Amino acid sequence: MKKPLLLIGSVLLSSSIAFGAAFQLNLQGIRQLAMGGTGAAVPWDASTIFYNPAGLSDLGHIQAYASIQALTPRTRWIATPTGAPGDMADANNRTYTPFNVYVGGPIADKSRIGLGVAVYTPFGTGIKWDDNWAGRYSIQEIQLQSIFIQPTISYKVNDIISVGGGFVFATGNIDLRKAVPLQSQAGADGAAELKGNANGVGYNIGLHLNATDWLQFGITYRSGVNMKVNRGYATFTVPSSLSSQFPYTAFKSNVNLPRVVTIGWGFKPTRNLTIQADGNFVGWSSYDSLRFDYETNTASLQDVHTPRRYKNTFAIRLGAHYKINDRFAVMVGGAYDPSPVKDGYLSPELPDANHYTATGGITFKPMRRMTIMGVFEYVFTDKRTGVVMTDNFAGQYQTKIINPGIGVSFDF
Amino acid sequence: MKKIYIIGLMACTMAACKTNIEPSKPDKGSADFTRYVAVGNSLTAGFADGSLYKSGQENSYPSILAGQFKLVGGGNFKQPLLPGNFGYPGAKLTLQMVQGACDATSSLAPAYFKGALDTAGSAMSVAQDGPYNNMGVPGIRCIDFLFRGYGMLNPYARRFYVDPAGSRPADEAGVLHPTFFTMWIGANDVLGYATAGGDGSSDPTAKISDPNLFAVAYDTTLSIMRRNGAQGVLINIPDVTAIPFFTTIPANGLTLTQDDAYRLNDAYNNVPGIRFQAGANYFLIADASAPAKFRHIQPGEYILLSLPMDSVKCAGWGTKKPIPANYVLTAGEVANIQTATSAYNQIISRLAQRENLAVVDLNSYLRTLQSGILFNGVAFNTTFVSGGAFSLDGVHLTPRGYALVANQIINTINNRYNATIPQVDVNKYNGVLFP
Repeated sequence: MKKPLLLIGSVLLSSSIAFGAAFQLNLQGIRQLAMGGTGAAVPWDASTIFYNPAGLSDLGHIQAYASIQALTPRTRWIATPTGAPGDMADANNRTYTPFNVYVGGPIADKSRIGLGVAVYTPFGTGIKWDDNWAGRYSIQEIQLQSIFIQPTISYKVNDIISVGGGFVFATGNIDLRKAVPLQSQAGADGAAELKGNANGVGYNIGLHLNATDWLQFGITYRSGVNMKVNRGYATFTVPSSLSSQFPYTAFKSNVNLPRVVTIGWGFKPTRNLTIQADGNFVGWSSYDSLRFDYETNTASLQDVHTPRRYKNTFAIRLGAHYKINDRFAVMVGGAYDPSPVKDGYLSPELPDANHYTATGGITFKPMRRMTIMGVFEYVFTDKRTGVVMTDNFAGQYQTKIINPGIGVSFDF
Repeated sequence: MKKIYIIGLMACTMAACKTNIEPSKPDKGSADFTRYVAVGNSLTAGFADGSLYKSGQENSYPSILAGQFKLVGGGNFKQPLLPGNFGYPGAKLTLQMVQGACDATSSLAPAYFKGALDTAGSAMSVAQDGPYNNMGVPGIRCIDFLFRGYGMLNPYARRFYVDPAGSRPADEAGVLHPTFFTMWIGANDVLGYATAGGDGSSDPTAKISDPNLFAVAYDTTLSIMRRNGAQGVLINIPDVTAIPFFTTIPANGLTLTQDDAYRLNDAYNNVPGIRFQAGANYFLIADASAPAKFRHIQPGEYILLSLPMDSVKCAGWGTKKPIPANYVLTAGEVANIQTATSAYNQIISRLAQRENLAVVDLNSYLRTLQSGILFNGVAFNTTFVSGGAFSLDGVHLTPRGYALVANQIINTINNRYNATIPQVDVNKYNGVLFP
């Protein structure tokens, strides 16, 4: 004889990991960022290990390079089509600090072989909404950090052609929180927090062509990186009568970071002016869905498989570098980075829209072997209205980002 | 490093870094919400969990609607609030760990609140603080709206009717001369019959109302509401057989072992049509028209949530003894309910057409809810307790359920009056609460 079951339907845990249009941060060099994120064609400095590993053997010296940025996004959600004055939410301001460290260059003076290693943070972002906001059952807070380590070798085949490549060892972590729609007698929501470390491997290869004194080309291929969470932990806080349905459990997950093909072009119309352009094909379709595979399942806690259905994108970037004198140079640039998020998948975890970027920067050489670099990046998105169908959460979003950064390089 | 943060934050005080989208301003269109009056029954009063209580009233759909109307020039909305929160006259249901007489362990189930009730002063008339905008009266049928002196028979109406002994509910509803009204009456004209298992021989409110009387009462009440050219919407009647009160206990919810099945088959050896098997079985129900006066319940027939589970478990109801007819809706009774519901809804749409008013089709919305809807990450359906929309009595709604209804009404108003009243955030309200 069965009593009417009071089981709680599998609670939607359609969580994901957020990367701004963002997956493709392109913040790996101060000069390059100041030129709209271009850099595949011209090996400016040791950060070419990221932008085009082939350029490493073209550097004049071994160089040590470090930079850091202070990325501050602002995102607002408003109810659509109309709302009460309070029907909006601003994500809490946070400043993220992507950093880069590079060491590398030709192994000896005039050597054809370049060696180097890079540590950079290609993906690292997050968003934090108020705990009680309208979209709390979709996401309250998500943080993602990753560090890529890339040992790299480059070979200068002749005066024109260089090749290079490096392995990528990626490590990172995710932390996300959301409300669970199971209320206590006091009306308080349940909570879920998922935390885990992720690891993956990949590679970054490039070809650099010094076609003429005033024309250079670069082609790079950065492989996808499957970031696997082998053993994350999920903690649920629910009313006590339901706690057996929501045990503390390990989970597995993974995210396929996309492959990126970049074609770059660099042009020197005068001795002091360089203009460069990059196109990035980003294989976003790798992010087709997100799975959370719980070690312990119950009637109410089932594995979650949420469609993301990202689409491939093509970003265009343009920049210019003007050398004022032996000490100073200035840079300016811009980029258009279309959103990989399709209509119907616009979620407050990553309320993505087409990104427009304007950048500027300056470099200063206080001494012969040392360069100090500064950059300012400004990003705004389209005002995008949409819904995430898996949660039926709709609204309009807008994001603006400012991102100043500084760096220093030293030639040995 | 610290400097970088400071630079970042300083730069972000500039306007360029601030997002500049704002919600569009709502508009009332051609409607006038200065004085909004809600006419209805328990669903309008905010009844939930088997009783009426203050927080339920505060989260009634008319109160939720009035909050949205205020964004477009709506006036104050007064409700005849009860003083207490545990139910009046009887205690409300809450989810508790309950151990039945024949249960080895306790399980989570609705049970009446056991603490001291806070009903002091509830019976006192609050009419002098009126007139009230929420004219919802639990238990009232459409045909009662023409019943002079009805207020003396209904403890809820008596509390706030201006002249309970001398007026008709239809007159009371019109006291405030609304500029806008919602009218959701008629569900009780069939619900009483349904919740009595179609066995309404002793209680007049457990009979299906005559559609002709229904039409007259509806028309009269509507005409009173329309007196000053007030605009409004009419809300039709959901098919009550879709609510958890009837759908929670499955007709074939009798699970037997092979041994039990053998024993029962032996016992009912000579009764044609009675047969048990291992696994899922249809319960036995009383049916005066069956040759043996009992039979298996059939698909499409319903067992009521009021069925005492102790009797099922300890006294063998449904197996050794047929389930009494007042806990069952047979196919014929279901047909009576659906015929009456559709007759009432035809009357409502005919009158709406005549008055050029819009109808909120809650009957079809209940079907939508049955198959499940998602609102801002929360799944709602008509499943008892876990569905989130129906309160613990299986008939009335949770505050979230009432907010879903409010959004349906807002949609209809927006369409008809070219208004842009915002939807409410359903999840701002409570759903089912767990211990």
